[in-house]
Parts: sequence; C-alpha cells; structure tokens
Amino acid sequence: MNFPFWDGETPLLLDGAMGTILQERGMKPGTQPELLNLSDPALIASVHRDYLKAGSRVLYSNTFGANAHKLRKSGKSVRAVISAGIAIAKREASAYSAAVALDIGPLGELLEPMGTLSFEAAYELFREMAVAGAESGADLVVIETMTDLYEAKAALLAVKENTTLPVFVTMSFDETGRTFTGCTVASIARTLEGLGADAIGLNCSTGPDRMSPLLRELSENTRLPVIAKPNAGLPDPVTGQYDMEPDTFAATLADCLEYVSIVGGCCGTSPEYIRRLRETVSGKRVHANAVQLPSFVCTPVAPCKITGVRVIGERINPTGKKRFQQALLENDLDYILDVAVKQEDAGADILDVNVGFPGVDEVSMLPRVVKKLQSAVSLPLQLDSSNPDALEAGLRVYNGKAAVNSVNGNREVLERVLPVVKKYGAAVVGLTLDKNGIPQTAAERVAIAERILDAALSYGIPKEDVWIDCLTLTVSAQQEQAMETLNALRHVREVLGLQTVLGVSNISFGLPNRGLIARTFLTQAMQCGLTLPIINPNQQDMMDAVTAYRVLSGEDAQCRAYIARFADAAPVTQTAVSGNSATIQDAIVKGLQAEAARLAKAALQENAQQSRDNAELSETPASDNPELSETPASDNPELSETPASDNPELSIVERELIPALDRVGEAYEQGKAFLPQLLSAAQAAQAVFEVLRESLAERGGASVQKGTIIVATVQGDIHDIGKNIVKTVLENYGYHVVDLGRDVPPETVVEAVTARNVKLVGLSALMTTTLPAMEETVKQLKQLASPPVIMVGGAVVTPEYAAHMGADYYAKDAKASAEIAKKVLG
Amino acid sequence: MELVREVLRYLGAGQSAPESLYREASELLAELQSGIQPRYVYRLFPVRRENGAFCLQDTSIVLCGHTVRTMLEDCDAVFLLVCTLGAAFDNMFRAARARDMSKAVILDACGSALTEAGCDAAEHELSARCPGRFLTDRFSPGYGDMPLSLQADICGVLNASRRLGVCVTDSMTLNPQKSVTAVIGVANRPQKARVRGCAYCDMKETCTLRKSGASCQI
Repeated sequence: MNFPFWDGETPLLLDGAMGTILQERGMKPGTQPELLNLSDPALIASVHRDYLKAGSRVLYSNTFGANAHKLRKSGKSVRAVISAGIAIAKREASAYSAAVALDIGPLGELLEPMGTLSFEAAYELFREMAVAGAESGADLVVIETMTDLYEAKAALLAVKENTTLPVFVTMSFDETGRTFTGCTVASIARTLEGLGADAIGLNCSTGPDRMSPLLRELSENTRLPVIAKPNAGLPDPVTGQYDMEPDTFAATLADCLEYVSIVGGCCGTSPEYIRRLRETVSGKRVHANAVQLPSFVCTPVAPCKITGVRVIGERINPTGKKRFQQALLENDLDYILDVAVKQEDAGADILDVNVGFPGVDEVSMLPRVVKKLQSAVSLPLQLDSSNPDALEAGLRVYNGKAAVNSVNGNREVLERVLPVVKKYGAAVVGLTLDKNGIPQTAAERVAIAERILDAALSYGIPKEDVWIDCLTLTVSAQQEQAMETLNALRHVREVLGLQTVLGVSNISFGLPNRGLIARTFLTQAMQCGLTLPIINPNQQDMMDAVTAYRVLSGEDAQCRAYIARFADAAPVTQTAVSGNSATIQDAIVKGLQAEAARLAKAALQENAQQSRDNAELSETPASDNPELSETPASDNPELSETPASDNPELSIVERELIPALDRVGEAYEQGKAFLPQLLSAAQAAQAVFEVLRESLAERGGASVQKGTIIVATVQGDIHDIGKNIVKTVLENYGYHVVDLGRDVPPETVVEAVTARNVKLVGLSALMTTTLPAMEETVKQLKQLASPPVIMVGGAVVTPEYAAHMGADYYAKDAKASAEIAKKVLG
Repeated sequence: MELVREVLRYLGAGQSAPESLYREASELLAELQSGIQPRYVYRLFPVRRENGAFCLQDTSIVLCGHTVRTMLEDCDAVFLLVCTLGAAFDNMFRAARARDMSKAVILDACGSALTEAGCDAAEHELSARCPGRFLTDRFSPGYGDMPLSLQADICGVLNASRRLGVCVTDSMTLNPQKSVTAVIGVANRPQKARVRGCAYCDMKETCTLRKSGASCQI
C-alpha cells in the first residue's frame, strides 16, 4: 500500500460522476463526453476543479470511452482525446497535489465467447489507451465499471505490460451479488489480485447501502486495498433522478471504512457528495487487509475454494487414447469439449487439460482448447504441459485463476515456469522428483517439496498456491512405495500445510480388480490429507469413494450430497423403451443415444465374431470332413458361411443410420415430428458415429466420410443456432463438416475452400443488415477457378434473393441442406 | 397465452405438439425461470411532432416513417424499453449446446418466450406508472419501416450497456442474444391493436406457418 499519492493510513478520496454532471451543465444529448476534451476543455476543467475543491485527491480523466472502437465514428484519435483529457486534469490537479488517473472503461463490445471480439483484439484496444495515458503523464490507471472479468484481464495485462503505473480495477455488481456476466466477488478478487492489480473494488450499479455487503465479501477475499465508488442510490425509471441524498451517501459509505480504504462516487453524485464524504471520513484511519486466503482456483462464475476434497478430472489427455489422439490431430475441438462436459456432469471440480502429443503444436493448441472449454464448461482448469511456452499461452487466455501442472525439484524447470505462474496468478503443482528421478523415501520427497515451496515463495507466489504431488508408483512393481507416498503426503499436508495432489490410477497397474486397489488407495490417501485427487470422474466407483469420504470427514454437511447421489438407487435410464428397440434404426428414430450406441457396439462385436467364425470354417479342408463335403450348402444353412462385412462400420451407416434419419426427416416434413425430435435422432446417430469412429481408430481404418462441407455464418452476423443445427444434421448423414464459426469475412471462406478443395459451402445469415456480406461472399467464391456449389439459408434469406445473389441452392431448413448435400456430393 | 404454448409456437409445433415435447419444454422452461429473470430499463419521453416525425425530448432521437406515424398518431409521449435475459442465458445455452442440441433448440425457444414475457411485465409496470393514460402495442426497430439502426439509439439513450449489460454490434444485433428494444406510445385514449396480423409482417412471403394455413398469432 505504497503509492506516491497516498500514505495508506487515511482514506483516499476519489472524485464523483462526470457524465451526469456534464448533462446537468448543458452537454447536448447524444454527445460522447470524451470528445469535449477537444471541443470544450474549459467545461471539463471546471468539473475537475469543483471535485478538487470538494476534497478529491485522485481525478479520473475524462477518457472512460476513449477507445478506438467507441471513437471510430468521431474522426478523433485515441491519442488526441486521451492526451487532451490527461492534460486538462493535470493542470487542475497540480494546485492541489492531487493525482490524475487514466480512466479506462469497457470497450462497448462484448468479448468472445458471447461476442466476436477476441481477447487479443481487446488487449490491443486497451494497450493503445494505456500507452497514450502513460506518455501523457498519468500518475496511475483505473480500470472501472467492468462487468466481464475477461475484459478486465485484457485491460489489466495491457496496462502492466506497457506501463509501470499503479493500476486500480473496479467492477460493477448488481443487487444479486454478481456482475452481468455472472462473475462472483470471490472469483474477481482472487483473479485480479493474482494478475497484479494494486487495489481492487466495486463501482456503479448500486448505492453504498447495497454495495456494502459485497465490499465486505471482497475484503475477505483479497489482501489488496479495497475501493468503493457507488452510485447515489438508484435512478427513478421515469425521471432518471437518483434517490440518495449526500448525507446518507456519505454516512453509509463511511460505515464501510472497516474494510474499505479508497472511496468516491459514481453516477448521480456531484461535488456536494464528495464534500460530505470528505467531512464524514475526516480523521478516520484505514488499515491493510491482513486476511488469510484459502487455496483457490476459479472461472468467473465458479469459485473453487480448496477446503475439502476437490476432484480433478484426468480424461483430457491423449496418453493411451487413440480416439483422443485422432481428435487432436484432426483439430476436432468438439470431441475434446465433449470429454470435458462428461467429466463436469460426473461431478469433477477441476479439469486437467493436456494436449501434448507428437504432431500437435501445443503452443497454439492449448490456448485454443482453453478458449473452447471455457465457452461451455464452468469448471476451473489445470493446464498440464511440460512446454513452458504452451503453459504461458494457455494461461494468458484463461479467464479466471488456473492451476499449472507442473514443476518439480529441478532448478531449471523452477526458474523457467515459476515466473509465468506468478505473472498470471495461477496455482502450481510441484512433483516431488528431480534430475535424479523419483526418490524412494518419503523424507526425500518431502525435502523436494520444501525446495519447491521455497522457490515459489521466492518468486512471490503465495503459499496457498503451491500444491504438492508426492507421486504414485505401481504397487505390484514397488510394493513398499504405496506407504512412502502416503507418509510423504501426510507430512506435506500436516507439517508443511500445503494442498496435495495425487494421480491414483497408476497404483493398480498389472493387478486384477484394479478398481478395488485404486479405490482403497484413494480412500487411504484422502485420510492422509489428499485434497486434490486426479481421477476419472466417469468411473462411478471412484466418485462413490469420494462421496463417502466427504460424509465421514464432515465436509458433506448432513450427508446431503451422499443422500442425493444414492437415495434414488434405481438406474436413471429405467424407461420402458430401453431394450425394446430391436434395431439401431429404431433407437435412432426414438432419439435414444445410449441404446443406439449399445446396439452399434453389439453389431460390431457380432460382425467381428462372425469374421472369426468364417475364418475357422474356411480353414477346414473338405477332405477331412467327408460329410460336410457331400452336403449341399442349401440343406445345411447353419454350416454355410454367413458373410461378414469387410467394412462393418460403413454398412451400419448405410443400413441403419441413413434410413433412420430419412424416416425422421420425412416425419418432420409431414409435420408429424418437430425440430427437437429431428435433433435427438441426429444426436443418437452421432452416438453411433462415435462408436464407429472408435472402432475404426482401433482398426486403423479410414474414417466414414462422404465429402467435406464448409459452413459459416457471414460477416457481421453472430447468430449461429441455425448453422449449428444444419451442421449436426449434415454430420449425421456422414459428411465431414468444417465449421468456420460466425462473423466470418468472405476472404476467410474463400481461403478455407481453396485450402481444403471443398465442393460444397453453406452460408447462413439472420439479419437483413448482413445479407450484403453474404452476397459478397458468394461473389468472391464464384470468382475462383473451380468455384464450389453454394447453398444459402437463414431467416431473412428467400429463394428469390438466393437466386439474385448467384447462390446455387436455397436451403429452407436443415433437412433441405442434407438433400442438397446428397445431390452435390453423393 | 400460457408460456409453454409460446415456447411450442416458437418451435413451430403449435397445437399439434406431442406430449413428450410439451413435457420437455415445460421442464426446460421451469429450469430456465428458476435461474434467470428478465430485466429491463425504460424511460418516458415527451414527444414533439415536427413534419410528420416524432422528436423525443432531451435526446437526439427522431422517429419517422409510416409505422411510427401509424402507431404514435395519438401520442404525446413514448416509453423506450430494453429488456434482456442477460449473459446468464447465453452461458446456459452454450453449456446446453455442448451437451444436447435438441435441448438447446428448445431452450432457445424458452428464452425467446421468456424475453417477451419480460416485456409484457415491463408494459404492466409502465401502465401503472401512468394511470388514466393508454398505451399502444409495443413495436421495435425492424418492424415495418422502422430502421434497425434505432436499436443503437435506444440502447444509448437508456444507457443499456451500463445498466443492463446490453451492447449493440455494428450490424445492429443485440448482445446478449435474448435482448429486445421497444417503443410504446402513450396517449389519452384507448389505442387500436395494430402490430398483430400477417398483413403487417415482413415474413409473410416465406412464413412456413402461413404456408400450412396457420398463423403465429402475434
């Protein structure tokens, strides 16, 4: 708490609202306030002066919206607006020895995954502001009114990497205790502190009364000074007037000084509010937040305090998994997401993410997988890689506070990885091995743990972020090692006071009834203090063991989770239809994913068995079996060869899958079935496809494919549900679909078509405003030497417009697109 | 109309929905409503008529065109409204989409129905704020000849990004996805319902419901 402009012992007084004051003082409606820095600097100066007179010691420059996105129609540059704004504030501030903060507000455009602005593009927009502010002589930077932690991170990194200024970050929470994007107080506190903010807090949205409990919660989750810049109550919906008076405002805010040390006002406040505030807080002292923080990782919406057993899911890992390896090499992120989702649904608390495999560029793959996972899974991630550049790339785009797997006792590894861990505020797993391998005694492993802890502390990584893995060896090979691991673990937990991680699967390798050994070892380990087991959460008996342990340790209060898990002991899929589907086709039509997959597996096994039987039959020479050679095949049907298919997967697609989808498609056309049923059938077909893909991956056979189709939502359009429905249906008719996403520029479509030599392209648009982009895309594609066939669809597209654009087909719905694909690709 | 019926209508199922679809839609709707409430902001603006256009006081917004003239003929004031389910819906939708497209499609329809229900609730509140006055049907940018660009103006004037977290993209889409903007006129005598009916709708040429002889009954 040591800034040139603040002693850290008395409350620091910020300023109040600018926007509402400007409106009162005659700013014309519809004006961008930041532009007044250039057109009416005297007005801005007068507002600053009034706040200084009232007692403000930090002025927020009039640059809240001075980013390139918001200024794009103004004809003014970011640099011009910011340097003018800082100069005006500095001129006024100098007489009072007050500080000037570069004010950075939200960009006005939503970041991915909800919007299409990438994290990297957002960073660039903030970087431009930060550099302009620093060069103009700002004393500090405030990043305020943020509701998206990802956006706040982009801004914070931009400031820290491009200036040496102190930086404050405040976010806006509504009365539900979350931001608009669902961030929790704990998540933002730990994440922003980890990323190196100098002070954090809340501003806008509510008055000091509703903000106060959130401020208290914030102070319990951070060691940094806490900032409170509330509104003057709430605005009246009809008059727009704020409902809290300066006296109440000041008194309520002053009551928060127990846990807040920096105060000011936001919307609806004025110099009068700041004057009352100064009078009320005069003479009061503030103190540093000396709070002990628990071990913690998070995503913005899901805080994960390690105050008990937290399961880390291990399934996102290519080791020994052919299908996963294939998905990595084919860039099939949807498959990886599916592996994640299944673990989340099975009860994992954290997901380990490992994408290291020969042929995979981890440095680009890991961040892509991180972004994909965090768009649909709310669990915190543990980035698992031995490539420090990959770890850094992954941590940079991670939204929240992650864990890193791993470092070890090797000094070079510690020096390379710990600075990255520190920079991004992650927790770090330390393996108790070093250049000499895995030590054979618990004492030696503890010694390495201590070395790792000391190194981490020396880089400024707090103790609660150091997690130790004492390593599991195979009990059938080194029997005494099981106890060494447990003893080391106990010491690390009880004496060193650190969180403990352990992958338990290894323990049972080579033994029968592996599950029993693994489960028992897991339970033993938890009793010795294991808090972060790395297991397969889809293995029911392992999750059962964790659930039972949580009862016995007291973590599961009133055994609630245990009862919820086991009280309805009857299997979930106990529906009347299970087992009644005679064929794969029936199961698909009914949308029964599990049943369809089961039948497909059974069919493949039967075919494999038939192949083996046929091989035996054909090997028996006829002369050894005179009866056989005299019996005509038709008299003895059991003895004649039943043909087994050479390509059983393809025949399942053609005999069962396509007819099933055609049946449902027809019912849909006739209005007897509806879109949800079409999609359930498509998903059941997808489940069958997965079975077939696994089988092919094992066999090393070529995938079942009928041609590649590119789909995209055109530039400027962010709606993709229609396109995704089409994609699902097309994939289940056997086509390989490359989904370019949404807001796709024409050039990107052209590039993808050329690079992959694709014969069919599907374009979608929902808005009338984006039809020109569709037209342009069609035009550019038709200019290619051998242009692809183009089908277009979407709510605003009509057959007439499609023809006018030069598209080859108009697809009125997903089913139509499948028919077109059949016509074009076969 | 019962909310589930609205959901089925958005799915194109309407009257002939099978029992299983009705049940699934009801369950998803209940799940959605338990976690997410529509939120809205609105403000009342006196309007001044000038050359057939309507100027909203204290703003730079001028409403013109045939649709506006028809709807606001009798009015001396308008409410501007923005309603949203927020980013929580988008999060829920993306999570559903990663697991089950069929559910995601139903959830999407539930979101649309819930957003409209939110606008209905807002209108109810607006009514109560001006006793003795009468409201027109709500109408939005994109209806008739009302330009889509008004989305940006309405959100700007209501400070929707700061108060609701709603942004407008360059192509005039609202983000988060289940967000709507609307204009509601205020007059001294009861207003004719005008927005309903196929004749007024831009989709009348390609509407699948119309082709099958039904109507969406908006």
